[in-house]
Parts: sequence; C-alpha cells; structure tokens
Amino acid sequence: MTQLDIDVRSEHHRLLLAVSGPINSYTFTDFQEKVYKAIAQSDTAIDMEKVTALSSAGIGVIMTAMEDAEATGHGFAIVNPSEIVRLAIDSTGFGDQFPVVKSLKLV
Amino acid sequence: MGRGGSRVRAAEATVVLEAKTASILDYESFVDNLLFLTERDRCRLKLAGGEVFDNIVKHAAPLCDGRLIARAARRSGSASILLGFYFSSKSFDSVAAEAAGTDGAKPVFDPAHRRWRGMGMAMCRNLARRVSFRPGETMDRIYLEFDPA
Repeated sequence: MTQLDIDVRSEHHRLLLAVSGPINSYTFTDFQEKVYKAIAQSDTAIDMEKVTALSSAGIGVIMTAMEDAEATGHGFAIVNPSEIVRLAIDSTGFGDQFPVVKSLKLV
Repeated sequence: MGRGGSRVRAAEATVVLEAKTASILDYESFVDNLLFLTERDRCRLKLAGGEVFDNIVKHAAPLCDGRLIARAARRSGSASILLGFYFSSKSFDSVAAEAAGTDGAKPVFDPAHRRWRGMGMAMCRNLARRVSFRPGETMDRIYLEFDPA
C-alpha cells in the first residue's frame, strides 16, 4: 500500500481517524493537517491498525497532537497500533509517554 | 562496494532509487518484498532505512548521478541483517555530521512547521545494532546492521 488514506468520522462524541497506509516523509502532511484539525475540535482517537510505516515526521506530529490535546482539554488516543507503529513508538526511547490503547472501548 | 569481508550472505536484494522524497514509497515497497526476512525485521528496515533515506535526500542531494542504491542482505551463520545505502555526494560529510550529531539528542519543537523534530537518527540507532558511515573516492556508504529479531 503506497497511498495514505484517512477516514474521519464522528463516533461516541469524539472524532475517529482511521488511517491506512504509510505515514512517511512524503505523506505525513496530510496526516498532520487532519490530526491537528480534529484535536482542535473534539476528543480524538487515531486508529492505526492499518498503518504500514511511521517515520519520525509522523511521530513528531503525534507528539504535537498530544500537547494540543492537553492545551485544549480534549482527549487523545492511539488505538490498536500495527506492529510497525508500536516499533516506531518504542524506538523513540520514550514510548511509554504515548497514549496507546488496544481498543476504542478503553478510551 | 562493501562486501562485508569473507562473511557469506544467505540472501540479498538491491534496488536503485531516485534521490527524491517521493521515492520513500519505492524504498518501502522494496522492503515489503524482502521475503527472506521476518515481518518484524522488515519493519525495522523500513523504519530505520527510511530515516537514512530521508537524510540522504535532505542533506546529500543533489547526488552526483541523482540516484542511490539500497541493498539488504542476511548473513548466513549469525543471521544478522545488513542494510547498505550507496551514493555519490559532494556533501556526504554534512550527512554524516548530521547523523553523528544526533547521538542522544533531544527532540526540538519546530514552530514554523508545528511539529517535533530531531528524532529520526535516534530512532534509527535504537532500531539497529550499528550505524556506520564510510565516505569514498567514488562512492559514499551508510551501513546499518541489525540482529535478527
């Protein structure tokens, strides 16, 4: 899968972004735009089950979204991350600071 | 081109990439098709190699012939995995300095682009056992070595 696809829908009083494909240096700006827009509006969850790559640029976007969530008082979570997403988060050396949950029911 | 001494390679694959941002998709596709590696090993090569690829495009381009070669190999015996990038650049030193300078670096917030930056090579070093840089007369090289997952 070479294209990034982001489906945004409202679910249980929050925005759910279902992301498919690679978040890399070529695609991350679309991810950035949609994530920042969502977090400015409401509680946000990002379903990353079908993400096939996550570069440092994508990690940087998630870190900024975490701070935006704190600033706006909105909830933010990464849901059901794929193996490569978990590996990318762990490789930062501070993976335990990312709000990762296995299921939307746990948000 | 760095044959890794006398150590025998059980399997290897090579791709030639254009030195432009969009070619990260071709690099990822190359890694996805390395079926002699496990899924977890492919993930590590995709993440760490992707960061190296981005650094080459960002700091070493324009390359002398506009292209770079990526080669992945699994050694027999130790089963360790090698990933090499081969290219020719007049600014290789700045690539190496950029990478070396990020040892233990902390992320920095880039207000112009509204995102945290500076984690790429640190992630790379946490994913690979060793990252090394070797400039050459006609070709520069970046090697990443991984223990099998």
